[in-house]
Amino acid sequence: MSMLSFEEKYRVRGGTLIGGDLFDFWVGPFYVGFFGITSAFFALLGTVFIFYGIATGPTWNIWQINIAPPDLSYGLGFAPIDEGGLWQLITICAIGAFVSWALRQAEISRKLGMNYHVPIAFGFAILAYVSLVVIRPVLMGAWGHGFPYGIMSHLDWVSNTGYQYLHFHYNPAHIIAVTFFFTTVLALGLHGGAILSAVNPHQKGDTVKTAYHENSFFRDTIMYSIGSLGIHRLGLFLALNAGFWSAVCIIISGPFWTRGWPEWYDWWLSLPIWS
Amino acid sequence: MATYQNIFNRVQVHGEPDMGVPLPDGTIWERGKAKFSRLFGLFGEAQVGPGYLGTTGLLSLLFGIAAFEIIGFNMWASVGWDPVQFIRLLPWLALEPPSPEWGLRIPPLNEGGWFILTGLFLLISVLLWWVRMYRRAVALGMGTHVAWAFASAIWLFLVLGLFRPLLMGSWSEAVPYGIFPHLDWTTAFSLRYGNLMYNPFHMLSITFLYGSVLLFAMHGATIIASGNYGAHREIEQIVDRGTAAERGAIFWRWTMGFNATFESIHRWAWWFAVLTTLTGGIGILLTGTVVDNWYLWGLEHGLVPPYPEVYPAMADPAATP
Amino acid sequence: MKSIHRIPVVLLAALTLLTACERPPVESTQVGFRGMNMADIQNPRAEMGETGYPAALPPASSSGPKAGEVYQNVQVLGDLSVAEFTRLMTSITAWVSPEEGCNYCHNPANLASDDIYTKVVSRRMIQMNQHINSEWQDHVGANGVNCYTCHRGKNVPEYIWFSQGDSGDGNRHFMGWLNGQNQPGEDIGLTSMPQDVFTHYLTSTDAPTVRLASLQPGVDEPSPGTKNAEKTYALMVNWSQSLGVNCTYCHYTGSFQDWENSSPYRITAHYGLNMVRGLNAEYLIPLEGEYPDYRLGPHEGDAPKAYCATCHQGQKKPLGGADAISAYPSLAE
Repeated sequence: MSMLSFEEKYRVRGGTLIGGDLFDFWVGPFYVGFFGITSAFFALLGTVFIFYGIATGPTWNIWQINIAPPDLSYGLGFAPIDEGGLWQLITICAIGAFVSWALRQAEISRKLGMNYHVPIAFGFAILAYVSLVVIRPVLMGAWGHGFPYGIMSHLDWVSNTGYQYLHFHYNPAHIIAVTFFFTTVLALGLHGGAILSAVNPHQKGDTVKTAYHENSFFRDTIMYSIGSLGIHRLGLFLALNAGFWSAVCIIISGPFWTRGWPEWYDWWLSLPIWS
Repeated sequence: MATYQNIFNRVQVHGEPDMGVPLPDGTIWERGKAKFSRLFGLFGEAQVGPGYLGTTGLLSLLFGIAAFEIIGFNMWASVGWDPVQFIRLLPWLALEPPSPEWGLRIPPLNEGGWFILTGLFLLISVLLWWVRMYRRAVALGMGTHVAWAFASAIWLFLVLGLFRPLLMGSWSEAVPYGIFPHLDWTTAFSLRYGNLMYNPFHMLSITFLYGSVLLFAMHGATIIASGNYGAHREIEQIVDRGTAAERGAIFWRWTMGFNATFESIHRWAWWFAVLTTLTGGIGILLTGTVVDNWYLWGLEHGLVPPYPEVYPAMADPAATP
Repeated sequence: MKSIHRIPVVLLAALTLLTACERPPVESTQVGFRGMNMADIQNPRAEMGETGYPAALPPASSSGPKAGEVYQNVQVLGDLSVAEFTRLMTSITAWVSPEEGCNYCHNPANLASDDIYTKVVSRRMIQMNQHINSEWQDHVGANGVNCYTCHRGKNVPEYIWFSQGDSGDGNRHFMGWLNGQNQPGEDIGLTSMPQDVFTHYLTSTDAPTVRLASLQPGVDEPSPGTKNAEKTYALMVNWSQSLGVNCTYCHYTGSFQDWENSSPYRITAHYGLNMVRGLNAEYLIPLEGEYPDYRLGPHEGDAPKAYCATCHQGQKKPLGGADAISAYPSLAE
């Protein structure tokens, strides 16, 4: 079944950003639209490139597959296909697909009379990806600074990049990002738990509880309940900050700091206020 | 874009506070007082309090404060009780676990004894807080999902500070209480046990960590974006589906061909959050006890990518005569 | 609006943080396979070690009587001609005591006497130079070293180290145990890791192996525990700082211990470690009795010792790779 019981009344024409009625249709559960076409185009093309890279590479082992960016010596130019050019093409496809996806989300938001929080939120994820494969490589002068596409190879990249700054945990933006990541998980656990515990009461057969109970629970335990609307603002705020500060922490590593991150704190230790 | 985006509350009502769902008969403690905060009211509920302390809450706070003070005073003592240097060096300071030679014995206070005592107090505090979360939920007739999610976080805490040191036979394996020192510990831990990124449970934990952030961004954005349909009244939407829940569901169905319901998204949320610390704890527990070197483990299990050699093959110069 | 007044404060704070950073572009040199991000990354605007090196004196005639025959108490360099000997003495003065001149080591009333401790130390240092240049070419290569490599015109090389003793823990009986760490360590890149790792790793030729993780399961196990790994890590941070490089200059960090994916620089560093251990154990520590008190360590009264920074001083190759030995072959015998 491609439609939910209540879905039909929502499937109406209009609200597209581009293309008018031309692409205003559904395929199964998916809405298409102009950006659905471009999403599919970039995603399929990118996937073909990835499989070409795997097929011409040394292994089909899912963990070991590695499609690497060019040597640093190519700088910001194009590299031959089998020397990193493929990585460049895949990156173009990925960015095309991600941006199309965000614009498609914006179209769907319009069609459903919703605000644009979802595509904007997704924009932060795109920003984090673009920071890694475009902004930072451009600032450092070579595409070769992007991360390779492969499960273990991208982890090795993370490891190497971290140790290029000797002790990456001292990176101030990384500290902020990780704090936001962990806090998001805490808030998500609390929110998920609160809703589930309200609609699944302790006594089987008991009446479902209400937002008053949620408020009471958090006021009783931690003095404050942010409320059923506020928790979603907080969650979105925490999650977007996790992505944003991740992007900051990698952009400053290299372009704006080449030494060990612990050394960065010299400014704090030598402030004139201590003596 | 100049329209109201539902990021802030435009109207705040500061009136008679909601004193909460009546406590069950026979409850000894009473709730405190409630106040209103204009600042808090911008983002969420303006009402602050009333809180409920209770016996477990009181004891938990006392033990928690004791642990916090022991850490703080040890840090302060380590700079010769100089208040200026205490602030200046605070990120570097730590309460340090005992040295390896003590094994699982209890050393004198100033050689790790304070650390053991702090760990004990923190453990008591955290467990009492767990009991409190459980009992407060039951007192309101609610399920105990929050307490069990909290239990997953306690699991990770216990693995780091108790279970793994016990299995390794040394308190020195525990994490120091300090800002930079615990970061040093984390990297040294990964270095000593052959790269934690090759630890499959670390991979799972990170996946759930990132997944949690993704989920909360998707969920939070969906609710706020359909706030004008009352999407934040989630319980009402769960038991009596309205257009907010329908639009939220359809949005994701049209976007990615699949949707959760207003209840099931919270099950996804709960599991992602719980699995982050659950898998993380398993990964830590296995490190050094079952697996000594995760890179070699990965090599054995076909994880390591075959990078083309850039230099002529090298051998360990210490191994060649 | 009250918040207007906060803007200058926020701007000032932002400016402080910005000036604490560097600016692009940077220079990067690939070390490993593409995409692994093993690279040497340098910002040309960041401080670099000194590269100046005083020009060698013109060669002197090797004919004529030998220094050992003409002068008294010549225990090293006696085979040089008097002209060559004088040339080297002049150079050493320029390298080590340009302001004090000959009398920094020599008693002007009797140049042959060993009255002044610096003469005894200098003699041993000349032997150390000869030892390094002849026995440790695996590390120093064709460039070699001379007195200036470490001294740079100063009586005492700028980068030396002493034992840190108990780091003042003795004064804290009840609370505040530091365990020799948890303070910003100048020698270990301002991390809060163990600071006196040099005593542990660099004072003896049979010091503990510098190893973080096992090379093979059950074989060559490193010292157990995370705390020991912090010591090794701190030492490696010191090496990186001393050479102005990062971990990936030598290591594939997926597996630090793995030699297969390491860069050849790691071999050079390996010989450097053995060299420094030998120099400290055989040359520098035994001189402890010769020094006056003010030259000894503040905590334990130990002799000044060497580590990577002593020669490298922030550069991959000391003196920017200048040839320190061709003009002074007598320091390589």
